[in-house]
Amino acid sequence: MEIEEGNTSSTHRISKRTILFGVIPFIVIGAMIVLLMNSSGILFQSSIKPLPEISIEKVEFSDNNMIVAYVRNTGASEISIAQADVNDRIYPAAIEPGRTLTRLEDAKVIIPFVWNTGEPYKIGITTDEGTRFDKLVKSAAGAPRPTVGQASTFALIGTYVGIIPVMMGLVWYPFVRRLSPNKYNFFLSLTAGLLVFLGIDALLEGNEIAVNSLAPAFNAQILIIMVAIVTLLTLLYVSQRLIQRASKRSKPDIDIEYKKRSSSNSEPDMGTKDAKSSSLSVQQRLLIRPIAISMMISIGIGLHNFGEGLAIGAAVLLGEVALSSFLILGFTLHNTTEGLAIVAPMAKSRRIPVVKLMIMGLIAGGPTILGAWIGGFLYSPIATVIFLSIGAGAIFQVVYSIGSWMYHTNGSKGLLNNHWIIIGFASGMFVMYLTGLLV
Amino acid sequence: MFGIAISIIVFAISTAVYSKSSLTDLNSSKLNTFGGHTPGYPTLQTTGDVLDPTSLVINPKNAVVDPIKYLREFNYGKLSLSSNGTVIRDFTMVASDQQTKEVSPGVFYNVWTFNGTIPGPTLRATEGDTIRITLINNGSKFHSIHFHGIHPAEMDGVFEGIAPGGKFTYQFTAEPFGVFPYHCHMQPLEEHITHGLYGALIIDPKEPRASADEMVMLMNGYDTDFDTENNFYTVNGIPFYYMHHPIQIDKNRLIRIYLLNMLEFDPLNNFHLHANMFNFYKTGTKLIPDEYTDIVTMNQAERGILEFSYKYPGKYMFHAHKTEFAEKGWTGLFLVKEGTNQSINENLSVTSIRNYTDYSTTDFNKTTGLVSTGGVN
Repeated sequence: MEIEEGNTSSTHRISKRTILFGVIPFIVIGAMIVLLMNSSGILFQSSIKPLPEISIEKVEFSDNNMIVAYVRNTGASEISIAQADVNDRIYPAAIEPGRTLTRLEDAKVIIPFVWNTGEPYKIGITTDEGTRFDKLVKSAAGAPRPTVGQASTFALIGTYVGIIPVMMGLVWYPFVRRLSPNKYNFFLSLTAGLLVFLGIDALLEGNEIAVNSLAPAFNAQILIIMVAIVTLLTLLYVSQRLIQRASKRSKPDIDIEYKKRSSSNSEPDMGTKDAKSSSLSVQQRLLIRPIAISMMISIGIGLHNFGEGLAIGAAVLLGEVALSSFLILGFTLHNTTEGLAIVAPMAKSRRIPVVKLMIMGLIAGGPTILGAWIGGFLYSPIATVIFLSIGAGAIFQVVYSIGSWMYHTNGSKGLLNNHWIIIGFASGMFVMYLTGLLV
Repeated sequence: MFGIAISIIVFAISTAVYSKSSLTDLNSSKLNTFGGHTPGYPTLQTTGDVLDPTSLVINPKNAVVDPIKYLREFNYGKLSLSSNGTVIRDFTMVASDQQTKEVSPGVFYNVWTFNGTIPGPTLRATEGDTIRITLINNGSKFHSIHFHGIHPAEMDGVFEGIAPGGKFTYQFTAEPFGVFPYHCHMQPLEEHITHGLYGALIIDPKEPRASADEMVMLMNGYDTDFDTENNFYTVNGIPFYYMHHPIQIDKNRLIRIYLLNMLEFDPLNNFHLHANMFNFYKTGTKLIPDEYTDIVTMNQAERGILEFSYKYPGKYMFHAHKTEFAEKGWTGLFLVKEGTNQSINENLSVTSIRNYTDYSTTDFNKTTGLVSTGGVN
């Protein structure tokens, strides 16, 4: 209590005593570390070695009769790799940079092996203690090589899966513009439903990778939630700043309108203080805010599609899917709804130039190509999990923006009392579920 | 905002790529070759370590056994005569269970052993001899030796375990002639056997078998991760050992193999000889072969004698024709040579102790360096 009082009396001057109290815990912790590390097990002696653990994070099948497994020591202590096997049959192999792996160190195990396309293989690693760890690859497929041909294949896939469907969705812009308020609410909430589905999908997908390909040492499941929340908060902050800055640039007093609107539960009052400036602000708001929301949706969907691209590229790399026209068609249909999500908020604003729409489409769809390249050529499960979580966070931010936009355009009368909104939201999720069945 | 995201991604990727490539470049001066044992498989070079049990040799200091030494090493015991003229063979066996040894290149396992090796020493006597085996238990658990063959109940090594630090002498008459496994019979039996407490006892017929180049082959496995499935399969203790150390034999020379199966967990095991046929004497209790074949299949503790000779020189494989076992270590090579028996000669010193009574009556042949299996007549 005394310290607190001292602090309040002199807000910016911290007394020596306060510093001392701040430092003491660190000194104690430091002393404990020194004691425990130098006692060479006298305090807590155990004859039991910690259990070894090896994670096989990725298996690549190369065309010149080689299997390459990327392994990581995810156990608590140093480990030495003794032998490698394919389908539980021991084969000569090599490990780079070396057989001894410190905690969390990774290595590349190269096994010369004549493998057959499309067959399942279990790659096993045996440690010096004789413990074997293995990873099943359901269907062996040659690892995509970063050639121009392969890169253009991925670019084509990305175009089909990302850009074309989003652009197709944008074509609905004139249609959405002519909708009555209720139908417009329906489509907006449909968009929110679509996005919630995508967000949950990204979280589940990330979780699946975290469970199957990442060692518990990474705590990847909690990482997913963390990254999603941090992304959500960051984007909420950024979008608020973006809207504020855009508003300020066009009309300095837009701030007043903002403050008033956010503090008031009633319909925006246009005539109480400065009728002229307020009405301008509302105009500005109606113009800027939807475009900003659409832009944020584009970015959110872009991040999502980046994750989707990663997943597609990785699936090809890891031999988990055979790329087929059917799969691509499924993704195309699935993603067409994303274009709708972009145009819906702008429907009641001023006419948007086609070029602007195209740019938004590219922002939303283009990252699929980038994702496919990275996923296909440089797959890393931890990076994929992080990107999927960022995508999920971004999408939830967009849902929040749509929600608050609808709330205000509906005169702040609430959302859940409008059956169009509820039906739209549910329909959005169902549409995604049904088109998702095709993938 | 999106630009920032992209630049972060690009930075992350370039960092990842850079760190990977720099790892590989670190010690590019030192290159090891690996692979290429099988036709169609590439031979590669690596800057890292080679993991290859088919060509790497375990440091003898850590090895659970020397398979070349074990192959032709027969222990005839310390000989003495009883008052009624019966030959007495005294053996000392030490059981231990706290050592960790290398059972396959790079793989260390807590081995339980008789006299420090897996398999334990091959004991050999002639039918009618008195066998006395003193077991000293240097281990931390109760152990025993249970011999297959005919003997009194109290010599069966089942109900009386030897306590840690204890000692016991098993005594019985060597009968009948044949090949017999011995193993610890303490509970849990599976645990005591799979850790390595077993070996071979050969009882020769009074009328010796024909002179031959003799060897013991004991088939076993190691469950190094305790999941009741073997991780490694071997003949004579170390996987793939005879692939890089082929067993040298002479063309047209009679080869006699005392073959035993002590494999735990898997219901059966077998032996297949390439480019040849052999006479098989089941359990070795008869002098007439049961079968003329190139493969014999055995359950745990089954055993027999194989006799054959090679007509042509060259390298010949022998392995379990349960191919899983073959590819997890139970594979070896015979190297059939035209010439003399130089290599066998070197291994014979240990066998010369077997006949103490009268060297003139034995088959020990100093000119060829070969030994017959006949015991004391």
